[in-house]
Amino acid sequence: MKNNDVEQVDKEQLIPNQEIENKKSDFDNNTSQNPNETHQQEDTEKKEEKRFLSNKKFKKFDKARYREQKCREWEIKIVNQNMKDDKLGLYIHIPFCDRKCDYCDFVSYSMDENAQHDFQQALFKEIDMYRTQCEKMVFNSIYIGGGTPSVMYEGFIYELARKVYSTFHFEGDIEFTIEVNPNSVTYDKLLEYLRAGVNRVSVGVQCIDSKILKNVGRFQTIENIDNTFDLLKKMGFINTSADVMIGLPNQSLDAVKDTINYLIDKNVKHISVYTLQLEENTPLYKNVKMGKIKPLGDEACIKMYNTVTKMLKENGFIRYEVSNFAIPTYESRHNFKYWKDVDYLGLGVSAHSFLENYRFSNTCRLDEYIDMLNNGQFPIVNKEFIRDSERRTEYIMLSLRLATGLNLEKFRKRFKEDLLKTRAKQIHDLIKNGYLYIEDGFLKIAPQHFYVSNRIILELL
Amino acid sequence: MNRQDRIRNFCIVAHIDHGKSTLADRFIEITNTVDKRDMNSQLLDSMDIERERGITIKLTPTTMKYNYNGEEYTLNLIDTPGHVDFSYEVSRSLMACEGAILVVDASQGVQAQTLANVYLAFDAKLEIIPVINKVDLPSANPEKVIKEIEDIIGIPADDAPLISAKTGLNIESVLKKVVETIPPPKGDENAPLKALVFDSYYDSYKGAVSMVRIVDGKVRAGDQIKFMQTGKSFEVTEVGIFNPKNSECEQLQAGDVGYICASIKNVSDTKVGDTITLVNNPTAQPLEGFKEALPMVFSGIFPLDGSKYEELKDALEKLQLNDASLHFEKETSAALGHGFRCGFLGLLHMEITNERLEREFGLDLITTAPSVEYKIKEINKSPYLISNPSFMPNPQAIEEIEEPIVKMEIITPPEYLGNIMDLCSERRGEYKNMQYLDENRTKLNYIMPLNEIVYDFFDKIKSLSKGYASMDYELCGYKPSDLVKMDILLNGEVCDALSIIVHRSKAYKRGKALCEKLKEVIPRHLFEIPIQAVIGGKVIARETISAVRKDVLAKCYGGDVTRKRKLLEKQKEGKKRMRKLGSVELPSEAFISILKIDD
Repeated sequence: MKNNDVEQVDKEQLIPNQEIENKKSDFDNNTSQNPNETHQQEDTEKKEEKRFLSNKKFKKFDKARYREQKCREWEIKIVNQNMKDDKLGLYIHIPFCDRKCDYCDFVSYSMDENAQHDFQQALFKEIDMYRTQCEKMVFNSIYIGGGTPSVMYEGFIYELARKVYSTFHFEGDIEFTIEVNPNSVTYDKLLEYLRAGVNRVSVGVQCIDSKILKNVGRFQTIENIDNTFDLLKKMGFINTSADVMIGLPNQSLDAVKDTINYLIDKNVKHISVYTLQLEENTPLYKNVKMGKIKPLGDEACIKMYNTVTKMLKENGFIRYEVSNFAIPTYESRHNFKYWKDVDYLGLGVSAHSFLENYRFSNTCRLDEYIDMLNNGQFPIVNKEFIRDSERRTEYIMLSLRLATGLNLEKFRKRFKEDLLKTRAKQIHDLIKNGYLYIEDGFLKIAPQHFYVSNRIILELL
Repeated sequence: MNRQDRIRNFCIVAHIDHGKSTLADRFIEITNTVDKRDMNSQLLDSMDIERERGITIKLTPTTMKYNYNGEEYTLNLIDTPGHVDFSYEVSRSLMACEGAILVVDASQGVQAQTLANVYLAFDAKLEIIPVINKVDLPSANPEKVIKEIEDIIGIPADDAPLISAKTGLNIESVLKKVVETIPPPKGDENAPLKALVFDSYYDSYKGAVSMVRIVDGKVRAGDQIKFMQTGKSFEVTEVGIFNPKNSECEQLQAGDVGYICASIKNVSDTKVGDTITLVNNPTAQPLEGFKEALPMVFSGIFPLDGSKYEELKDALEKLQLNDASLHFEKETSAALGHGFRCGFLGLLHMEITNERLEREFGLDLITTAPSVEYKIKEINKSPYLISNPSFMPNPQAIEEIEEPIVKMEIITPPEYLGNIMDLCSERRGEYKNMQYLDENRTKLNYIMPLNEIVYDFFDKIKSLSKGYASMDYELCGYKPSDLVKMDILLNGEVCDALSIIVHRSKAYKRGKALCEKLKEVIPRHLFEIPIQAVIGGKVIARETISAVRKDVLAKCYGGDVTRKRKLLEKQKEGKKRMRKLGSVELPSEAFISILKIDD
């Protein structure tokens, strides 16, 4: 979306739902130069697949094989698409929540209208400060995360989008994601997002059993979630994502299965599955230490993860990263940038950036963030030049998390190191024991061992 | 009054923690030897480790001036270690003195080390001044302690000064007593030089420095001296006294305590206990030296990073310069590569040496379980000693194994007798006798195998008695015993560095505990790891470390790659600190885990 589009969006009036949906489907085909063409192609493919799968002559085994093969094809497609992407991503962190969940150690403050306005002013100042520096840079994704962006006062996201469009350069289609919380989503807000150009919504579902969530200090009901997905459907948001947590205290395997089935039923296109992690300095950590809450054991988590993987695979999802699953073409373009050699700019409290070989991050404190910007300073508190040795570690760590794996040739060129030689023994042992495999010049973690990827990555550093 | 009449050479002996070093500090303060502003507590404990742990390891002499009845006296004080491991240092310093201050804690009374040290002082025919310290404590009972000293040690103590080294109470009266009771040295200044080397240390500028007590004659810079035992001669470059830092003086004469530098490159040339005399006017008869301190505890020390072997060698050589009791020789382990087998006086000595190597030389080390020295008799061969379990021959070839045994003396309040006696018999102790010292104290005598006390016996005694019991031991010979070598197999492979020699009756329990401990300290791998304890091919204990099934799956939050990378880098660092044995990675603490076993 270019700057001159803003006017147009602005003028858009409320249109019948059906029309929005038609319009939105264009937004979704964000990975190709010619959306219409891809759309048609996709349709024929789908029809063909349907025909194939409904043919009773084929046994279950063949169908599974067919799916497998399709997945491979998609994987290769993804690689090609995302390898080419060299445009920047823009991340904006909204540090507000209704209430912080007990397990959360991300930066967020409780809601307070005044604080939100102060934050807005500071954020806009920060955006202005990057105007010159980013003059020559081209962006193609926006991600508004948090915290809970949907708790911001009405009109905030729209203003923010206008500010962003008028400051940074975008080219081609944009992937514009916003994270929302089922509690704070309203019709008006979604409409505002639509007008702002948002075309991807990530819903913090976590688990559909409200009792389990209540236990870890997250208050949301199935009615909230239902309502959110109903609204999203009505408003024509097709590219939807959901965050799911596994390994929550008292969570049963059935609760996880129910959640996944629910999301499949709601036609969600992208699912991120995170295992609960006990972070120090969180209420949950304290509760566990005091024995009030018993965390789930490793075996239960593994079972959940494997079950989720299997269910999603059966329903056409591809695991393109350790914890991210998507219906092909619905992979998150923005997240890919974190895993690839692509720059991104992070704005807002505690946001992280990677620009021109520097990684830097903003202050974690809202008051400090506002003060620094009021004094005309960048709110940066950490800045580190990423030398090749560090970049190498990052490269291995990030690329192996992806299903597509590590491009050995690219690695060799980039770091003047042939991993197959420098880590010959480790790779040999890992391949021998089935943890790694090499395919078409890519080093990959075997899918069944994704859950221990850290260990495997460690061997290669 | 001649020069020597105004000299007093004395040391302070006491049980650990009874306040020797604090008392020494007060003396230095009162005599204005050190400026007030330079005073920092435990002045004579110059090593960081000494100050931190509140213990004295090295003996340190100091020279003070004290006015008594209008005369200026020179008081040479030698502070001594109180821990059982270092009693040999005590006996050496006693030889340089005519008297000793015996410090006894007013609430704790006579303890095992008090006795051990006071007997050493008796042997050296020293005049003993008992002093009751810590009388300011609410639990102090000086009358009782005085009675104890008279009853148990058998020296009059009714006029013993009641002091508090901490608050400075009555310190002066101790100094007065030193002048009044301790006899002055009676050397002959005009006789040929006869100086006793009671310690030595290495100074990177001056070379090996000998700490000496001049018995007869005099010595000054430029003199040609000769070490009578080694036969080597050197030219003196500097002589001086300790006040308490080295300060050069013109000459040292009979009765003095001081140091001699002679550009000596090897500390081994300044053997402790040797006699120094002049080359052109030698004395006929050397002084009686000391018995060399024998190491009792042995362990392997390996650099974590195999390439640092030379650095470790260098560091050990440097430490040995100041610590003649440290022994080491090359050792090669299949699991740990090249390193050294080191001999120590005791476990504390081992711990301190390790700490110094890591701190002062910046080395990362792996230390194997401590062992004692066993006497192996093979069929048709003459007996030999081994301190390394991996050198133990096949059981079939062994006719007999003997292990070192010690005479153990424990003093404890009677309420803990039961516990302590249980511990001793569990540690294969052979009860000798028991003696009631008074209503609050009992002395136990045992004969025990040394290998049962090297690990944690001292700590155990302390915890069983809430800190009240004390112990002392001395080596008294070898005794045949039913010992076996126990190997540890990790994932089916023997790890030689984990092998131990153990009494057959304890092998099962020890093996089980060791396997359990290893299971705790070895991180989980991608595969399952069996840990087995094996004696002569027979598995006696087994544990299994299950494979890792899950590791971090955290959200890559808003592009915070740094946090993840740092975490990985930290884990990688941790991995570097591991030793790879076959396919298993062992953290360095695995090798001393045997020390931490509770049996």
